[in-house]
Order: sequence, then C-alpha cells, then structure tokens
Amino acid sequence: MRYMFLIYTDEAMVGEPDPEAFAAHVRFTRDAIAAGAYVTCDALQPSATATTVRVREGKTVVSDGPFAETREVLGGYYVLECSDLDEAIERAARIPPARHGSIEVRPIAEIAGWDEAIGHPRAGAAAR
Amino acid sequence: MLYIFLLHSDPDLAVPVNVMEQHGAVEALARGRDAFIMSEALGGPATARTVRLREGRTLVSDGPFAETKEALGGLYILDCADLDQALEYAAKIPDAQFGSVEVRPLVCDSDWTFDVAPDRERMPVRLVDGRLQPARG
Repeated sequence: MRYMFLIYTDEAMVGEPDPEAFAAHVRFTRDAIAAGAYVTCDALQPSATATTVRVREGKTVVSDGPFAETREVLGGYYVLECSDLDEAIERAARIPPARHGSIEVRPIAEIAGWDEAIGHPRAGAAAR
Repeated sequence: MLYIFLLHSDPDLAVPVNVMEQHGAVEALARGRDAFIMSEALGGPATARTVRLREGRTLVSDGPFAETKEALGGLYILDCADLDQALEYAAKIPDAQFGSVEVRPLVCDSDWTFDVAPDRERMPVRLVDGRLQPARG
C-alpha cells in the first residue's frame, strides 16, 4: 500500500530547506530508499505562491493564495510504500518536520478503470 | 517549472458523470506536451491520520490536518511553461467544477533529489517510447 505524507509546517520552514533540515531530509530519504519504501517526494514553494481555481457555471474564478488559510501550511510531501498504517505512522514520526509541524498520512486510492481510461499505467502503478 | 495541483472537492456539489473522461482529457493534453509527471487519488478524509513528534513521543490523531468542508482528494504534478498555463490546466481539472484546485510551484531547482538519488529522474517514472516506465530497479 502506498501512503502519502503531507507535511504541514510553519511558513518560515517552507521552500528551500536550510542546511540542517536538508541533511535531515537526506538521511530520512536514504533510509526510505534503503528499505525499498521510497516512491517520490517534493518541496512546495511558500504558500504566497499559491493560486486557487474554481469553475462555476462555466466561468473560471481565480483567487490568490492557498485553498485553506491555516497557521501551519503545506510545505511538501512524500509518497512511501508501507506494509500497513502502523508502518506508515512509524515512518511519519521520523520525517524531520514531525518534530515541529504535522504529518498527515493518507493511503493512496486505486481507482478502478483509471489506467484503461488514460491508456497509460499510472505513475504510482508503474513505480510499484 | 513544475506545478502541483491540489484537488479539493465539495461534498455538496455534484460530480459530473463524465469525471473520468475529463481527467483523461487533462492527462492526455499534458502527455501530448510531454508535461505529465504524476497524478494520485487519495483515500477519503476518514482514512487520514495526523502524526506529530513532540519531546520524543509520537502523537497520532484521527483525521486530516485541517477539518474543512472541501477535502483534499488527489493531486497532479505537471510541467508548465508559466502560471498562466498552470491555470489553464487547473480550469480543465474536473474538481474545479465541484470544489477547487490549488496550484503551487514546486521547489524543483533544488539539487536535493539528485543528491539523494543521483541515478533517478526527479520522479519515480519516466517516459520511454511513449510509455511510462519505473525509474527505479
């Protein structure tokens, strides 16, 4: 089962990591790669760069800023292969920002018929 | 520039019957431009746990980080020329009709992914002869 780990931290920690945070993420990721669990990860730019788009009655409505204004903001994510939720929670606790922010853990859904509809194996399916 | 598209859906708004075809059209458009990186669908908010580590102790709470009416249901990552092109994709993602699509640029200039996994593309898949192939193993 693949899980998504959504990293919420203070805005000050979002964007390019400082050298200490960089090194901590490198250690975490090397461990995940060695365990065969690593799928992908990314860091997001600060939430001020976010734009939110809605289509209502055929019209595109664009607003600046993220979907939700929260004290901790989404700063990045990991996708990791975990045998069960217990392992996912154990890994979440080792993601460096768990010490000062929050890690939301969500299983990734397998959508029946998706690959056929798209005509390609999905990214995640191919990575397994 | 890589952009992430965070798909939030409003449970009070109707999902179009052709939602899968609309997703397929977005992905086909992006693939035609060699711009498709990945997409994922998430389990519902009830499947979420939020984990914090404080003073060495793991604290686990049920549910997503933020309790909002619209819930994060999935994401795309697409390579876009600029924000205008990203917004063009966002308006085509069907969730924009029954929720909202948050568009954010990734920190893709960072060398950190290459440093950690130098033999990999940035993402776990790459296009080979028009087909997605695993980038590892």
